[in-house]
Amino acid sequence: MNKRTLHSIAATLAATTLFLSCAVAQAGELVVVVSARSPVEAMRPDQVAAIFLGQSARFPDGTVATPVDQPIGSGQRDGFYRRVTGKTPALLKAWWSKMVFTGRGQPPREVAGNAAVLQAVASTPGAIGYIDREAIDPSVRQVLLVH
Amino acid sequence: MHLTHHAPSFLPSAVCAGCILFSLGAAAHAEQATPGWKFSGFGTVGVVHSDEKEADFSASALKPDGAGRSGAWSRHVDSTLGAQLDLAFNPRWSAVVQVISEQRLDRSYEPRVEWANVKYQATPELALRLGRIALPMFIAADYRKVGYAYPWARTPLEVYGVLPISSSDGADVTWRWDGETSHNTTQVFYGYTDMRLYDGVRLRGNAITGLSHTFESGAFSARASMLTTRMTLKLFPELFDGLSAFGPQGRDIANRLSGDNKRATAMSIGLSYDPGQWFVTGEAGRSKAKSYLGSSKSMYASGGYRHGDFTPYVGFARVWGTPPGGANTLPLAGLPRQFAVAAAMLNAGVATVLSTVPSQSTLTAGLRWDVARNIALKLQHERVTPRNGSRGMLVNSIPEFRSGRTAQVSSVVVDFVF
Repeated sequence: MNKRTLHSIAATLAATTLFLSCAVAQAGELVVVVSARSPVEAMRPDQVAAIFLGQSARFPDGTVATPVDQPIGSGQRDGFYRRVTGKTPALLKAWWSKMVFTGRGQPPREVAGNAAVLQAVASTPGAIGYIDREAIDPSVRQVLLVH
Repeated sequence: MHLTHHAPSFLPSAVCAGCILFSLGAAAHAEQATPGWKFSGFGTVGVVHSDEKEADFSASALKPDGAGRSGAWSRHVDSTLGAQLDLAFNPRWSAVVQVISEQRLDRSYEPRVEWANVKYQATPELALRLGRIALPMFIAADYRKVGYAYPWARTPLEVYGVLPISSSDGADVTWRWDGETSHNTTQVFYGYTDMRLYDGVRLRGNAITGLSHTFESGAFSARASMLTTRMTLKLFPELFDGLSAFGPQGRDIANRLSGDNKRATAMSIGLSYDPGQWFVTGEAGRSKAKSYLGSSKSMYASGGYRHGDFTPYVGFARVWGTPPGGANTLPLAGLPRQFAVAAAMLNAGVATVLSTVPSQSTLTAGLRWDVARNIALKLQHERVTPRNGSRGMLVNSIPEFRSGRTAQVSSVVVDFVF
């Protein structure tokens, strides 16, 4: 394989990556938020995933975390789980079936839409939720941007 | 509720109960706020076809028949209906009851309580449960009835079928702890079980003691588990009574092989990697019983690729059984003729019983289709080969049955959760 072929492959890959990231941006960026009064500043995707999958009950600083979900079937919910946990709605359902029917845990509380998540997160100490990026307001703090 | 159902025809009642439960499901969301309750359930409607005419393919040794000898098609192998009620009294105290209806040895679908315990959540990481728990052996033994939760039509029989005891009445402690990027769950349990099988035959496990540890880090997870118990399963009473009548040697054989209060141990390790787009999983197990049940080593490996709502998968499973060692035959030399005939018959009986220690291999290919958010359809084909002169995990074999011949087994199952 000569240098020129490598260059053209690299160019194609770069163009593809650009196209894919645009496509994701169009699908809507999400932000993971906690109460503005929470001491939590930033989180990694795996830390957020562990809280929403019932694997971890606490924030990295040790305070107890209470996850809040968007409604079943909403774009925010499906996009959040696909990007943060790698799970499709069916895989997520299978995951919680395993947890619920062995008595290990129940899925997060569900509230209706961005505004309800904002309200729940702002008013509940330790709550954590995800909303569309443009819906964010000063009552909450962004701890993770989900691409 | 249609869960209380004794006639062997399963499908109409399952569908009917399913409808009722689905409609209940809509109303049954009194949410997690405490105090509160939640009703949920799961089920499987399936049919299995086997071309083996001289033995039945069954998902469990605790079923009376299956597909093959009793009829090429069977709807009893996988069909199950489960319902669960979760109660939360306050943030620390909760309770769960799970009832399962599936075909039992007496051919009824009489519901059985799979889980019934009260949980005290001392901290978010430490929980104590009192009551009945399903044993957390292997990766999936405690949710093996919930077909929706795993890719296959059923958990691999070679590994999951070696342990007849599935639940324990007692206590368990679960402790969760986090590493830098890993999540660990350590569970210890202690209890007993006493299960009526049929006609006065019971399966008992005394002092069931075990440990299970789960490690999860991103897409990788692993579970190691072990348990030990004193198990009683008194099958073949005429054989052991006959042996006991044959002097010290007969009594010795009967004592060593009988299923009366014998030490049984099982251990396993399972690994799984599931980044979402595809998965691979494998488990290896060992079991040992100081009785006619013998010992075994078992393993399986499986993998699949998720393409939208479709997940094609393949797998291989194997169990190697070892009958109990020692001198298990009565010496015939020097016996008066009528005693020699009786002793020879007892020897043949022992040989037959020991040949039921299973060895088997299975090649599996299947497709899971996630039809809707809570319904999965699975088509699965298996090549099941009993080995080493045993009938493998097949049941109800007739004398013409030949070990080593491959049975073609096809399954269609619909799994749902609500």
